[in-house]
Amino acid sequence: MPVVAIACRVLESLMEPYLRDAAIPVTCKEYGLHRTPTLMAAALQQEIDRLAEPSVVILGYGLCGNGLVGLKARQHTLIVPRADDCIMLLLGSYERYVEEFSAEPGTYYLTKGWLASGSHPLREYEELVEKYGQESADWIINEQYRNYRRLVLVASSQAELIACRAQALEVARFCAVRWGFRYEEHIGSTDFVERLVAEAHQLRKSTDDFLLIPPGGEIKQEMFWRKLGEGKQQAPNPDARVSNRN
Amino acid sequence: MNDTFTQISNAVYEGRAKDMPGLTNGALAAGLTPQEILDRGLTQGMQLIGKDFKEGKRFIPELLLAARAMQASLNILRPLFVQTGVKMAGKVVIGTVKGDLHDIGKTLVGMMLEGAGFEVIDLGKDVAPEQFVEAVKHEKPNIVALSALLTTTMQSMGRTIELLKEAGLREQVRVMIGGAPVTSDFACQINADAYGSSAPDAVEIAKKFARVS
Repeated sequence: MPVVAIACRVLESLMEPYLRDAAIPVTCKEYGLHRTPTLMAAALQQEIDRLAEPSVVILGYGLCGNGLVGLKARQHTLIVPRADDCIMLLLGSYERYVEEFSAEPGTYYLTKGWLASGSHPLREYEELVEKYGQESADWIINEQYRNYRRLVLVASSQAELIACRAQALEVARFCAVRWGFRYEEHIGSTDFVERLVAEAHQLRKSTDDFLLIPPGGEIKQEMFWRKLGEGKQQAPNPDARVSNRN
Repeated sequence: MNDTFTQISNAVYEGRAKDMPGLTNGALAAGLTPQEILDRGLTQGMQLIGKDFKEGKRFIPELLLAARAMQASLNILRPLFVQTGVKMAGKVVIGTVKGDLHDIGKTLVGMMLEGAGFEVIDLGKDVAPEQFVEAVKHEKPNIVALSALLTTTMQSMGRTIELLKEAGLREQVRVMIGGAPVTSDFACQINADAYGSSAPDAVEIAKKFARVS
């Protein structure tokens, strides 16, 4: 069965070398689809429906604010990272993601893609000022970001980090002045993406890290649920959930 | 008189917080009761923007600005509610669960509930199950509203409900939950009474609960 990938441009540079080595063709979709989750599923469905023959489709996305919910596999098999968003993919593992989250729950991440698509507090503030005026924009942005404490730029390589730094620092300054965010830079890991590409065609069922949506299946929110600090062995099987309500 | 209500409703809808003290004091001076101002002005404005939000005509920032405008009026009316014996729709204890710092949705739901005539005790963010239990003991609400925005923190909703049960308080309250990764299935799974898919939806559920309790 042919294997293809559909991914967010955020992950393009991270996934591309592995996909190329495995001769898997990839379609990259524009940044920032997660800002309108209902459009995201529609845009991805269109890509999936375009595939002529039954394929294994690797999705380079997370749950992304429910942007993947309702996506139908049709005659294909979908392989999806079991992640809230692309941050886990960039950091390399669920364990690392939880580690970072536990160290500082109030972390706002910046990525190359989020910077490019304007998904960051500074750009959002500029848009709010334009739409609602400064006084209202100040209040709204404060409501939105006052609980965060740390801004982390995650890049897939040193080169990407350097390329994004100037823009990230601009956002960092804005957040430091307003809310006292501290700024950090992290180089992510390719581990997760490497495994996603390598394991995709041999998966037979969902695992801790990857969801397998068989032909005729549909992506649902509960497939992504995990427990905080969940170990490798205790992954709940979403199919075995029992409602205890009458 | 109708004009006053329309003006207040419009100011809420348009999020004009600055105009609210003048409009509210003007309405009171004209002899309107706090209850009337709440029901026919503030609630009306919030309902209209809630409806437009659900239909995709208005967005979160506009909903927030409307809620802020409503609050500006409520700050004046709230002390009068007690004096004039306004009948509240019910009492809600609300919070974002432990480990989760996302509070904008929860705050919005809280403010909209206030606009719908509920007394709201907002416990804030990162609220431990024990804190919810304490609040239920002391505040004796009809409704507990829990919010979680991450797959990693939503389990804390279940723990909160379990602890309410252990404390013998579960039967005294209706529990409603919401947040991006949450579904009505999950609400069933953890024994919550309802799942709200949006802030206006949460208000509708709370109203239903208030009618039957």
